[in-house]
Amino acid sequence: MKSNLLFAFAVCLVLVAAIAPSRRAVATQGHVDSSAMPDDPSAPVTGNPKGDVTIIEFSDYNCPFCKQSAAALEKFVASDSKVRVVHKDWPVLTDASAYGARLALAAGYQGKYAEVHAALMRIPGMRISKDRMLEAVKASGVDMDRLESDQKAHAQEIDALLERNAEQAETLGLQGTPAFLVGPYIVPSALGYEDFKQVVADARTKMRGGD
Amino acid sequence: MSRAFPWTRILAVVVGLILLPGAASAGPPLPADAAFRLGVADSGNATLVFAWDIAPGHYLYRDRIAVSTDDGKAVPLELPPGAQKDDPAFGATQVYHDHVSTTIARSALPASGAIHVTYQGCAEHGVCYPPVGQKIDLATLAATPERKSLAPAVVVPAGPAQTTQGRTDGALASRLSGDLPTVLLGFLGFGLLLAFTPCVFPMLPILSGMLARSGQELTPRKGFVLSSAYVLAMALAYAALGLAAAWSGQNLQVLLQRPVAIVLMGLVFVVLALSMFGLYELALPAKLATRLSRATGRPGGSIGGAALLGFGSALVVGPCVTPPLAAALLYVAQTGDVLRGAAALFALGLGMGLPLLAFGAFGGRLLPKSGPWLVTVKQVFGFLFLGLAIWILGRVLPGPATLGLWGGLAIAAGLWFGLLRSRGFGMRLAGGGIALGGAFLLVVGLGVVPLSCPLAVCAGTTTASMDDTAVSFRKVSTVNAFDAALAEARSKGQPILVDFYADWCVVCREIDREVMADAAVRARLGNVAVLRVDVTADSPESRALMHRFDVVGPPTMLFLNARTGREADDSRFVGAVSAAQFLQTLHKVGA
Repeated sequence: MKSNLLFAFAVCLVLVAAIAPSRRAVATQGHVDSSAMPDDPSAPVTGNPKGDVTIIEFSDYNCPFCKQSAAALEKFVASDSKVRVVHKDWPVLTDASAYGARLALAAGYQGKYAEVHAALMRIPGMRISKDRMLEAVKASGVDMDRLESDQKAHAQEIDALLERNAEQAETLGLQGTPAFLVGPYIVPSALGYEDFKQVVADARTKMRGGD
Repeated sequence: MSRAFPWTRILAVVVGLILLPGAASAGPPLPADAAFRLGVADSGNATLVFAWDIAPGHYLYRDRIAVSTDDGKAVPLELPPGAQKDDPAFGATQVYHDHVSTTIARSALPASGAIHVTYQGCAEHGVCYPPVGQKIDLATLAATPERKSLAPAVVVPAGPAQTTQGRTDGALASRLSGDLPTVLLGFLGFGLLLAFTPCVFPMLPILSGMLARSGQELTPRKGFVLSSAYVLAMALAYAALGLAAAWSGQNLQVLLQRPVAIVLMGLVFVVLALSMFGLYELALPAKLATRLSRATGRPGGSIGGAALLGFGSALVVGPCVTPPLAAALLYVAQTGDVLRGAAALFALGLGMGLPLLAFGAFGGRLLPKSGPWLVTVKQVFGFLFLGLAIWILGRVLPGPATLGLWGGLAIAAGLWFGLLRSRGFGMRLAGGGIALGGAFLLVVGLGVVPLSCPLAVCAGTTTASMDDTAVSFRKVSTVNAFDAALAEARSKGQPILVDFYADWCVVCREIDREVMADAAVRARLGNVAVLRVDVTADSPESRALMHRFDVVGPPTMLFLNARTGREADDSRFVGAVSAAQFLQTLHKVGA
């Protein structure tokens, strides 16, 4: 009779042992975990590809906060030659956002992602139509014929990349745009120039400390 | 970035958030549905009131609120003027803080069906949310979240399953929003049906063993009380699944199939088996036992033991993903209505346990009360528990090792009962036969005799019976590998079977053995690209893939259309399936 009790303890032990590691897994999810963010070789990179700190940017071309942050980031990267930036287009706000993201990624095949990205981010406002986006891309100096043929030829790759970006954003628990991963930190909101400067400095200190 | 213990990373996040000035001091952003809460009510005079509660520090855009009918027609809205927001980056726009409401006359809406409300906003500290969609049932005014899909091409590879739920769980999930007593009764019924499946069978020997341990003290009343505790705990375990799904968005069963839990549970059965052989008496220190029996008012306090055993059995021993379970978990995940989901799961567990209850009350009569027969019966259960241990450990051990263990068990059982404990010639012969069979399995398991698995028992030892050249079969476990395999499969233009599988999933193996090995099924599978998603290990990658298709656990199979990349209607199977049903669906998707 008493033995059932002991058995009960044993079962308890099993449950505790099984649940304890799972709690940790739950807590990690939604925060920074480098294993959840595989290095995606097809995501466009700007700044110094060999930089010591990587900023991963999740953004949308119809998101005003993204536009403010993109300008600040551009200014910051110009002032810090050791920063690597990975752009993860995550079009979630409007239909035109996805259209813009595809244009920018297609431009990447002729090495012009940075130009098109900057051109789209510079259009002020948040209800930018596809036509206005196309206009801005044309004015950015990109070879439009090449862009169109690349867009057709690589449609599947581009869509797969957008899908992966969305998956990763979801895995990280991001709720909206913009969001930045700066070294070991996650910042799920807009950043200004001074903010970038500070987070990157903190990231360097943290990484030197051995993390 | 160095790989470090996750806690340090979490700490880094926290420290990072504190260090950041202004922008991040607000902490992680609220989820969109918590930032903007929509309530719909009938005002009584043939109008509906739509009211949004907006969290502090957040705002909704006036021109991003829209209502449309099922066929996509926009419903005109009269919205109050908002606060003017004029910012170079935003342009001039009107926004709402705190609260906004509007009314729509019933006459402006369809008489039945549903309407779709979308709205969009931002957090002041710098995050813009994707559009939020809510489907409002015009009869009940209940709101169901629906993600507004943007440009369809964004979701081309997978077409996240939010639009199409499978036939079974989709229909069931909507049934969950009905009248509560009906829902509970329905789930009780589903549970009863499930009671006669392999999901519940392993619980019979566990319960019988538990009753046999009571020996002389076993009366029908005691049997009933013990099995009630067992069944109630089992039902509670299912309810806990619902709570865990709401709490972490994850399937607790998947988490409990970690090797550590499986090995521990296996060991528990070994310990229990050894005590059945009288090797030792499992007993607590007398002092503690007295205190506990005073607390429960009954000697022994075995009710608590029975309850914990029931809880453990439901989660670790017999994890089966079935349509009602998937429906309830999805319902909880989608609506956040934890109580209703947990109540439905509780009813499901209760239904599954009802036959066990009857067995506990009346089956006890079949057990001998004392004497040498009781000893023999206890020993039989000892071997049964050892078998359960091997069966559970088989989920983590390599196939040949499991086979070897089965062989060893058969030898031991054959020798024990046939040669040592019986006197009749027939029994001795049978025992010897069993022992010989066991020796054969052991030899095969040890790899002495190469054998390409002609026995049903070793079906579990092959990774997959589909693994041959006739069927285009890819096994993936990461998002990148899945996307690559999917792109390749789509380029062939064949229907794509996405098959969520895990080594620990008993029903998955049964499907491999009985459905995938069927000749007619195999012939048709030749025209299908099979992507097997291996979710044996619980990882962010496997969670992301399950999340993408709204899958709560294996086995779940669904078909994608190669051209659109979307899930084919009515093509989803959750849980066990027969070859005939599977063939029907293969036919429907054009394989």
